Amino acid sequence: MPAAGGFDVPLWRAVAVFRVAALAYVCVVLVRDADRYAHPLAAGFLVLLMAVWTAVTAIGYAVPARRGWPLLLADLAVVVAILLATPLVMGREALDAGLPTLPVAWLSGPVLAWAVCGGRRRGAAAALVLGATDLATRGMVTPTAFNGAILMLLAGVVVGHVARLTVTAGERLQRASELEAATRERERLARDIHDSVLQVLALVQRRGAHLDGEAGELARLAGEQEVALRSLISGAEPFAAGPADAPVDLRTLLGRHASAAVSLSAPADPVLLPSAVARELAAAVGAALDNVARHGGGRAWVLIEDEESAVTVSIRDEGPGFPADRLREAVAQGRLGVAQAIRGRLTDLGGTARISSTPGAGTEVELTVPRRES
Amino acid sequence: MNGVRVMVVDDHPMWREGVARDLAEAGHEVVASCGEGRQAVRVVAAARPDVVVLDLQLPDISGVEVIQGLRAAHPGVRVLMLSASGEQQGVLDAVKAGATGYLLKSAGLAEFLEAVRRTAAGDPVFTPGLAGLVLGEYRRLAATNDAPGGAAAAAPRLTERETEVLRLVAKGMSYKQIAERLGLSHRTVQNHVQNTLGKLHLHNRVELTRYAIERGLDG
Repeated sequence: MPAAGGFDVPLWRAVAVFRVAALAYVCVVLVRDADRYAHPLAAGFLVLLMAVWTAVTAIGYAVPARRGWPLLLADLAVVVAILLATPLVMGREALDAGLPTLPVAWLSGPVLAWAVCGGRRRGAAAALVLGATDLATRGMVTPTAFNGAILMLLAGVVVGHVARLTVTAGERLQRASELEAATRERERLARDIHDSVLQVLALVQRRGAHLDGEAGELARLAGEQEVALRSLISGAEPFAAGPADAPVDLRTLLGRHASAAVSLSAPADPVLLPSAVARELAAAVGAALDNVARHGGGRAWVLIEDEESAVTVSIRDEGPGFPADRLREAVAQGRLGVAQAIRGRLTDLGGTARISSTPGAGTEVELTVPRRES
Repeated sequence: MNGVRVMVVDDHPMWREGVARDLAEAGHEVVASCGEGRQAVRVVAAARPDVVVLDLQLPDISGVEVIQGLRAAHPGVRVLMLSASGEQQGVLDAVKAGATGYLLKSAGLAEFLEAVRRTAAGDPVFTPGLAGLVLGEYRRLAATNDAPGGAAAAAPRLTERETEVLRLVAKGMSYKQIAERLGLSHRTVQNHVQNTLGKLHLHNRVELTRYAIERGLDG
């Protein structure tokens, strides 16, 4: 699982440094104990082999493309082979005398490599293989040897865990800075668009609004685009998900409905409601506006009022309207119209919906949601 | 009323020319046009416009500063704000600083000319959006007033009738429609709307003075 972005590069460097340091200790052990080994010359040759392999892995793991299974398996195999050769060069006597096996800590190299590459599980797997080999070559389980195996297992697990954490944290940081860059870019675009495109679109609309035919149509289109662009650069896109009680600005939610045909009036300060409440209320407003569009369309006005004890949203249109008794009739016949859907939503919120209409003079819907004591 | 003296302040040359041409065709006199706020404040006394058509977002100084400067240099000048972005706090601040009219730049030509005429005549030009902002501002002031240790200078309040009228403006009704619905004369509705702005201007001036005095005593 090669990590994107190279957040694991310092970890690989640390592994290489560890192997070199461990090799240095191996040399110390060799110099100190060589005279008690059965074949000191062979031991020296084995340490030379370890040095070569340390160099090979340091170069090999430095390139992301080479950090695959072939190198990992070869790494483990070479170290296991060196471990198996150890009792032969040291001799039974030296081992029984309790001398440390020649590779000492150096044999943890593949464990760290596997852990950095694949996390806890691979680290633990490599540690088990090497630990078992180490114990088997000694021919007996001394407490020191057993401790060594356990420490290696723990190192595999811990390093694997930390490696994952580092990579994840790095990726998060990268995502965050990308987001920040995108926001800055949008702000810059918004300023530019405001200074140029919006002004020209508004001008086109104004100059052509009273013309007939194609020119008037173009002006109308320019006006629509002006409104769409303005709401786009204001960046009023609310986050899709969030905790149900996190406060949300109702103006932002309803801002999506504003257009050339729908005017939105609101206070200058945010109108905060728990997000679940705000979403339900916005859905009810959306239903009312859909209804306006369905019945002859025309203009509509939305007013948000933020009072101490309640939030009120009014929707007014100048459409055909309907006689006052038609609502009652519809309910009596068991037809649940848009009005009932809106009322239902508001009742669920503990609020009220007042709907009034006169034929020919449009419809007014007033939705009120009480503010809960906080 | 014909031949209003108008000054156009907007940093967009194309827009400035377009507006000036529209105004001239409608029989008004464009006495000055500038692209910067400071320049506008410098020339306003010499140009003596009745109405300044002001873009709220200028490159050098804020809309509020321009309005204060214009009114200080040429008392009695009326300001009609235009904005392309509908940014809310800026509009509200400009109204508190003394602008009496507000239009979105996307408003139609007829609507624009009507707004210039009415601003010159001293009628406030409200969009539904501005009415919503003013309503919100009165509610905010009332809330700070009720708070313990609230403002020493009592914040202005709307009468019930004024609130009723302002709500109907915010819902997009014309003065004529409001007059019909409430059984009032057109003139009375207009007066109510005018009062809502007048109280805000006055309160703003009191607040500014108090702020200046406090600063002076502290310094």
